[in-house]
Amino acid sequence: MSRAKDRVGTWIGWGFFADLANGLALTFGYMFSRPVTMQYPDQEKWLPYPRYRGHHFLKRDEEGEIKCVACELCARICPCDCIEVVPYEDENGKRHPAKFEIDTARCLFCGLCEDACPADAIALGQQYEFSSFSSRDLVIGRDDLLAKPGKAATGGGVVAARLDTKKDVRVETKETQGYNWWRNIRRT
Amino acid sequence: MELAVALGLIVFKVAFLIAILLLLPLPLTWVERKVAGHMQQRMGPMRVGWHGLLQPVADGIKLLTKEDHIPAEADRFLFKLAPILALAPPFVVFVAVPFGESISVLGTEITLYVSNMNVALLFVFAVIGIEVYGVIFGGWAANSKYAVLGSLRTCAQMISYEIPMGFAVIGVVMLAQSMSLLDIVRAQADVWNVVYQPVGFFVFFVAGLAEAQRIPFDLAEAEGDLGAGFHTEYSGIRFAFFMVSEYAIVLLVSVLVVILFFGGWNGVLVPLPPLLWFVLKVAFFVYLFIWFRFTFPRYRYDQLMAIGWKVLLPLSMANIIITGVLLGAVGAP
Ligand code: SF4
Ligand code: SF4
Repeated sequence: MSRAKDRVGTWIGWGFFADLANGLALTFGYMFSRPVTMQYPDQEKWLPYPRYRGHHFLKRDEEGEIKCVACELCARICPCDCIEVVPYEDENGKRHPAKFEIDTARCLFCGLCEDACPADAIALGQQYEFSSFSSRDLVIGRDDLLAKPGKAATGGGVVAARLDTKKDVRVETKETQGYNWWRNIRRT
Repeated sequence: MELAVALGLIVFKVAFLIAILLLLPLPLTWVERKVAGHMQQRMGPMRVGWHGLLQPVADGIKLLTKEDHIPAEADRFLFKLAPILALAPPFVVFVAVPFGESISVLGTEITLYVSNMNVALLFVFAVIGIEVYGVIFGGWAANSKYAVLGSLRTCAQMISYEIPMGFAVIGVVMLAQSMSLLDIVRAQADVWNVVYQPVGFFVFFVAGLAEAQRIPFDLAEAEGDLGAGFHTEYSGIRFAFFMVSEYAIVLLVSVLVVILFFGGWNGVLVPLPPLLWFVLKVAFFVYLFIWFRFTFPRYRYDQLMAIGWKVLLPLSMANIIITGVLLGAVGAP
């Protein structure tokens, strides 16, 4: 009985375009809801989680010596064959890389080099803006890799940022922890 | 002297009208994209100018400087003629459309219409019918399957929907006892026609959506299945002509709905200047068009035909008969 009533109600609703009105009300509501757009690169930027695999960097030990022992394991395991290591031996008989180049244009950021390294010398960090006019610029040498920032302690949020095209095509930010975009866009 | 002033005034009005109609698509595209963006929780254009306000200008420059490409196998004469045929009628129609009674500037009364034809309504329907040639020629001349399919659909759609549209306004003509748009508005000074003619309004509005080829009846340029329909092969300034024509028709249908059913420049409750009332009402209907576009899906082709012939046509005929009977029995309101 009540089902028949429901059905009659539905038909009456259709007669008065209740379904169309519902749709219009929904879109109208959305029109005044907060846009989910992340205004990258003008105002905001997504700061990845600390576990993110972005730029490579080489680490130093406590004495400030480069940790890498030039075993070439990372070069062996790399699926893209984009690491080139040339070893040398210093006065103390320690092996170090004379040349350590990563072609980030070919890298797929799998992180296998980080996993394979026996000396915990290489790791992947938070930066992901690699745009460049020439793929030669994306080959990064030993000293640049040593100078790069290490693992981030924070991340996973949207931070205020500005596009800086003068120095480098990179969106600069000073904040370390932004707001949670995923929570922010949820409609209840 | 009298004649010269009158002639000068008409030339000025026509030039003003053309300028407005050519420039209005700029803000309208911006509004449409902004509304679309916010309805989809995006922001719409943001980069050019404050909140993308200059985006239409950038688009215009882009269209003007783009290569004007004509397909090798196209019928060159018809291909060039079609955009003009599509653009001219919506502009011509506005000659017969009044925007208000008159305003006085420097002591002279200036009427807010170019001409007050006694058959304005017929003129509007006759001229707007020509617009379909632009679409058909454009689709045919391009020598492309998508374009031909799009223009065939448009042809059938325009013809099917012009009939209920024409029938829907007969009730209004009966009430006003005139075909002059000015008289029709004057007749609505107390009560708007939409009160007496809700069915007429409904039929007219739905048919107007179809005439303007807007969602849910935009089968002519259904992006999903026809590329872009009849203007698939057009680029550059000719494409812009079609776009301007489309917005002019959206504007025209909104203006006609306001004039025929929503009392034109007659206000209610709030005493605003008549012209402002008119603009506000038209803006509401233009917004409604955009709102519909980003809410509803597109009808299937057979559904489109069924709605036109099996729903709107009988409804509009019944509306005429009932209006006539009531007018005869109760007398004019
Ligand atoms: S992240 Fe993967 S692809 Fe990139 S250098 Fe390391 S091993 Fe090679
Ligand atoms: S980074 Fe690690 S794996 Fe690669 S050569 Fe140096 S020590 Fe070996």
